[in-house]
Amino acid sequence: MSVVAHLEEHALDPQLELAELTEAARGDGAIVTFVGLARPENRDGAHVDALVLEHHPTLTRQSLEDISVACAQRFDVSHVRVVHRCGTVPAGEPIVFAGATSLHRRAAFDAADYLMDRLKTEAVFWKREVGDEGSTWIEPTAADQAGRDRWG
Amino acid sequence: MRILLHGPLGQAIAREVEAAVAAGTKVGDLRRRLGTDHPLAEKVLGRSRVYSEGCFRDDEHVLSGSEQIEFLPPVSGG
Repeated sequence: MSVVAHLEEHALDPQLELAELTEAARGDGAIVTFVGLARPENRDGAHVDALVLEHHPTLTRQSLEDISVACAQRFDVSHVRVVHRCGTVPAGEPIVFAGATSLHRRAAFDAADYLMDRLKTEAVFWKREVGDEGSTWIEPTAADQAGRDRWG
Repeated sequence: MRILLHGPLGQAIAREVEAAVAAGTKVGDLRRRLGTDHPLAEKVLGRSRVYSEGCFRDDEHVLSGSEQIEFLPPVSGG
């Protein structure tokens, strides 16, 4: 079992991350991944130029590691890989890559789902959307919290 | 004492402030003082966790005066 949890200050390349995970997955039968993108519009339909993710110098990395390790311990997976941006992410660009590999697909699907539900509510970031009207801070939605609550 | 303020608190107040604290001052005292000095940030201050020297602190923690204190608002998540 291996866990990679990485905070990326520059552009995130999902293809590269998938290649790394695929290389690690030799012998497994399933790879499931998720890529989150910075949307060009917010929930109210207003235009967004970029997402800014402020982080903590130690707690952010720790939160990514804690969530990834918890995932690896909970599900029958061989590899977990989480790479998360910080800083300014222009609309349309990737924010996060989360993936898992397993012998059979169910564990990998559940692991990726779990990773995102926990990252969306517990990863130590303070996010704001920057657009024509200035910037607005973001908090997890009720849907995000409901997703998190599914896992106990 | 050096106080670091993250996320929306950093925008509302400042990323970093210096404050003199008397002996025996608790985290809760400092939290209330900051809220009084910056009323627009009071609500977020009330919901923020406090972190110093590698540990999260509750409002009863007595400040040393020389430690660095951080106020962490509720996270946005990833």
